[in-house]
Amino acid sequence: MKFVKPKDVENLLKNLEEDKGKKYFLAGGTDLNVQIKNGIIRDANIIYINHLTELSGISEENNIILIGATTSIMDILDSDLIKRHLPYFQRSLESFASPLLQNTATIGGNIANGSPTADVIPLLLVLNAKVELSSKSQCRLVYIKDFFTGYKQNVMKSNEIITHIIIDKNAEKDFLTFYEKVGSRRTLTISKVTLAGMKKVSGNRISQIRLAVGSLSEFPRRLFKVEDYITDKTLTEIDFSKVENLLGKEITPITDLRSDKEYRYHVCVNLIRTFLNQ
Amino acid sequence: MGMHLGFLFPSWGLGTRYRKSVVKEKKMKINFILNENEVSIDVDPMKRLLDILREDFGLTGTKEGCGEGECGACTILLDGKPVTSCILNAIHADGKEIYTVEGIAEKHIGKLLIDCFDETNAVQCGFCFPGFLVSSYYYLKTDGEKNLDKIKKALSGNICRCTGYQKIFESVMMACVRKS
Repeated sequence: MKFVKPKDVENLLKNLEEDKGKKYFLAGGTDLNVQIKNGIIRDANIIYINHLTELSGISEENNIILIGATTSIMDILDSDLIKRHLPYFQRSLESFASPLLQNTATIGGNIANGSPTADVIPLLLVLNAKVELSSKSQCRLVYIKDFFTGYKQNVMKSNEIITHIIIDKNAEKDFLTFYEKVGSRRTLTISKVTLAGMKKVSGNRISQIRLAVGSLSEFPRRLFKVEDYITDKTLTEIDFSKVENLLGKEITPITDLRSDKEYRYHVCVNLIRTFLNQ
Repeated sequence: MGMHLGFLFPSWGLGTRYRKSVVKEKKMKINFILNENEVSIDVDPMKRLLDILREDFGLTGTKEGCGEGECGACTILLDGKPVTSCILNAIHADGKEIYTVEGIAEKHIGKLLIDCFDETNAVQCGFCFPGFLVSSYYYLKTDGEKNLDKIKKALSGNICRCTGYQKIFESVMMACVRKS
């Protein structure tokens, strides 16, 4: 057990090269502290990163928006830059936990923790966001759709850290959007089913569609098979039994204390139907 | 075993006791401003901020409910924003400004709110109330419009199991009117 507070990002990345052991980054601490309390994390090295100003804040560069990994959800909700370019993303985040948690929870933490129910990830999936992973020697960009490899597993190497989340300024332009988080109450709810969707319609044909779900598989994911089927069809051409069938191949809902797998599956089908009919 | 106990009986605090035995860090000096006084403490940087306030500073107004950031009984102001201190660590306080319910109760708006809660009979068992007071104080400081929807949203991170919230909202509405 070791606690490290690096003095800057350079120092942090150097530290990651040397320390190959299991470690956890402490930013807002809203997930990490619950896991420590419940004994899920028992003996790990903790690296504090919340004081590193280089990792926090929202900025623009040419045609992209850069969100620092330790930017709080509230900072995103309060950002004029996000409001101007990504209003759907901003509006949808209002249902994130509660205002108290929005003040501490960070966007990078929501991704790194990688919960199947993570609120931010379905949105980033439909926005085609990229995650910037930095190590001492290199900096690489990974599409969020390629980031997760299994339940709470991802492509990050032991010497890497999430530094930014990158979204195109025009990511929402000309798209019709949809976001529904289904839970037992409005705030402070962990989602039973989440569907994020973006579509472009020309005439009555759906020319482009992106769908992403949360709480229905080991990590939030895009529904590529359903998207492929729907693309270039009109509403009347879409056979919903076919959509249900394809959906069944892409998601693996489970029954747990929050909901049943059957309920989750049917609600997801209905949400897709609602979005297509909009 | 500990994981299961903490999961089944979170409100009994078993999880908390378990945690103390597994996470031990070397002490670090943490400086912050607590209710307008500069303070400094040598402490395990991973110690929960809630425990520091209650045990090291004797500020027991801040309560532990769920211990997972969901009920809001442990709400404090950290650099002016309401946060749940049960899932923050000592290190999060370093160089920051903190107000607990004790500090807020001394403020003009704090006193105004307490009077309104009192007159409306908004409090029953009272355990959640330090948290409600802090969140209401933040709302009055930053917005303060007599608007039920806004007040509901501002208090949505605080849970009360005795009342039906109605009188709590009424009290805050009353305070909004009296403040202006």
